[in-house]
Amino acid sequence: MAKVSNWQLGRDMEYPYAADRPKKQFTMIMDTNKCIACQSCTIACKSTWTWGKGQEFMLWNNIETKPYGFYPTGWDVNILELLGEQEWTGDVYSGETIFEAAPEGERVLGWAPAEEDWSHPNIGEDEPTGNAADTTYIPDNPHSMMWMYYLQRICNHCTYPACVAACPREAIYKRPEDGIVLVDQTRCRGYQECLTACPYKKTMFNLETRVSEKCIACYPKLEQGLQTQCTTSCIGRLRLTNYLSAPDEVDPRKPADFFVHIRKIALPIYPQLGLEPNVYYIPPIHVPAKYLTQMFGPGVEKAVEMYRNAKDDPELLGLLMLFGATERIMHTWDVTGGVARAYDEAGEEIVAVPLREPTFVRPFEFATEVAGEPMTGFRHNT
Amino acid sequence: MGETQITRKDALLYGGAAAGGLVVGGAAVVAVAVAVDNKKPPVEGAPIVAPYVAGDLPTTDPSADAWKDADRTYVALAAQQIAQPFLDKAGITSLDARALHNGAKVALLLEWDDDSVDDLDGIRRYHDAVAVQLPTRSGAPPALTMGGPGSPVHILQWRATWQRDIDSGGNTGVDQIYPEVVHDVMPDDILPAKAAQLYWVGREAGNPLSQNVRTSPIEEVVAEGFGSVTHLATQTAVGHGNNEDGRWRVVIAVPSARKGVGEPLAPGTTWPISFAVWLGSEENRGGRKHIANWQTLVLEAKA
Repeated sequence: MAKVSNWQLGRDMEYPYAADRPKKQFTMIMDTNKCIACQSCTIACKSTWTWGKGQEFMLWNNIETKPYGFYPTGWDVNILELLGEQEWTGDVYSGETIFEAAPEGERVLGWAPAEEDWSHPNIGEDEPTGNAADTTYIPDNPHSMMWMYYLQRICNHCTYPACVAACPREAIYKRPEDGIVLVDQTRCRGYQECLTACPYKKTMFNLETRVSEKCIACYPKLEQGLQTQCTTSCIGRLRLTNYLSAPDEVDPRKPADFFVHIRKIALPIYPQLGLEPNVYYIPPIHVPAKYLTQMFGPGVEKAVEMYRNAKDDPELLGLLMLFGATERIMHTWDVTGGVARAYDEAGEEIVAVPLREPTFVRPFEFATEVAGEPMTGFRHNT
Repeated sequence: MGETQITRKDALLYGGAAAGGLVVGGAAVVAVAVAVDNKKPPVEGAPIVAPYVAGDLPTTDPSADAWKDADRTYVALAAQQIAQPFLDKAGITSLDARALHNGAKVALLLEWDDDSVDDLDGIRRYHDAVAVQLPTRSGAPPALTMGGPGSPVHILQWRATWQRDIDSGGNTGVDQIYPEVVHDVMPDDILPAKAAQLYWVGREAGNPLSQNVRTSPIEEVVAEGFGSVTHLATQTAVGHGNNEDGRWRVVIAVPSARKGVGEPLAPGTTWPISFAVWLGSEENRGGRKHIANWQTLVLEAKA
């Protein structure tokens, strides 16, 4: 075991391999507040990468309803239960990670989903929970006191992946150029240790080729400077494919660094597990903080407050407006004169979006000419 | 007989011990009557003596009469608990081994009890298998743990999945795991074969595990420690396995010359030999397996 630095935990931790951070890290920012669970992302991913025979159980991308939706069933509650109750001391995690809690004979504390767990991708869909006492939303109407939200899930391309830690073949690797985690299809021998180890359950087994496969972060698109399929197909414009700098090389002009390190409005998912996951979530604003803290760590309440104030925060609002505005990967952005602009690596403008769409008012009554004769009329709603 | 444990200490110590000298577990007699068994019960700790046979060996026939010419050796098996990940609990305590050779090939017949035939891979669904481990060079045996850096081992692994690939002509996928499966349009339904192949990435990448059309159920690899298995470019091993009445009977045969792998398995030589068994029904795979300590394989000189 090596000692590695995990900034999300605010401390060092044990990991089977020495730290080797990539030059830059593939990341995705998800604004959970905008998702309607239409699964356009899921279908875009499925039809691009996993429509082959043997990939029937594979959803590299899925959207699930929290708290009762999971794919595979119980993925998060099972590992939380195995790990047991743990504590944060302020921003420092004082509990154990799944590497530190590994039982004798194992590299990672994990569990293997059964076939049935992979058989219900829509379990719990749209099921709300909670009661009036737990929420502040429309306090006089108990029937609207419930909460649920949609969680967008892809591989987290973790800095300290459990799949890499558990693979006895060293068949899974993290690309040094962009931190994407890939399964070497020539080296994997189908032991499924990664399926047991990954707490997010984002490695999957191909029934025909007998080896594991996983989200590849659409690297053929990334290598051309384009955002992933799940990002560009998102009708809610809630995703941003981007690169995160190492924690000691943060650049506030870079979108992901701004969200994650500067504003801390986008938070990692279950950081306490110790993998330093690299998909970051802007938490839903209408969900009890206690639940959100369990999922996204101690920064939740500040993040929610910041999001609620986004309308008065042109810098943040501008960047949020650039989500879904271009297929290309933004390297930097700025907001001037009520317009948010994104730039590529060379500093060339990719796209410009106004913070407020201009509005035009047309008069109800109008005058025109028909066959040379003056005519007046009224607009109809057609 | 109690469960046998081979510890890390045993394995390291044993790396330099004389082949066949260390016996694990207590003596036991297996009295399973099968058609071709000779009268003698298998003997624990006895060398596996391969008589010289003139002519062809039964390299793909576990039921051939020729096997009666070889004595059975009882080989104790224990849960692998040296390298992570461990096998928690042994599901089997022994296998029986015997061998024949004809100067050109060495053949082994391995038998163990397993009343669950596991020959398809799926989600949390693993296959039965057995492997033979031999040093590539004569002398003191390498570490039991699949050799070590600079001291390679030669491994021959039979898999129930590969046997079914052969026996069924490659029908070992989704349609067999879920016989009632209903498919929508699949790439292979609408694309030319070469293009459709791209949707079976492991197969297209040339992973030997991912193929479903094959001629031998045995994979031949070399290794220098756990996790270092390397598939040999030239595969020479043949064999056959079947399960009748809850017992696997598997033949594994390899050319004695071992070209490009190591020293030949020549008549009149003695070799350390070890075994591993995987029970698919017990979720055995990879390092989660049953292993034997080094045994002794004696290849009798030509008469």
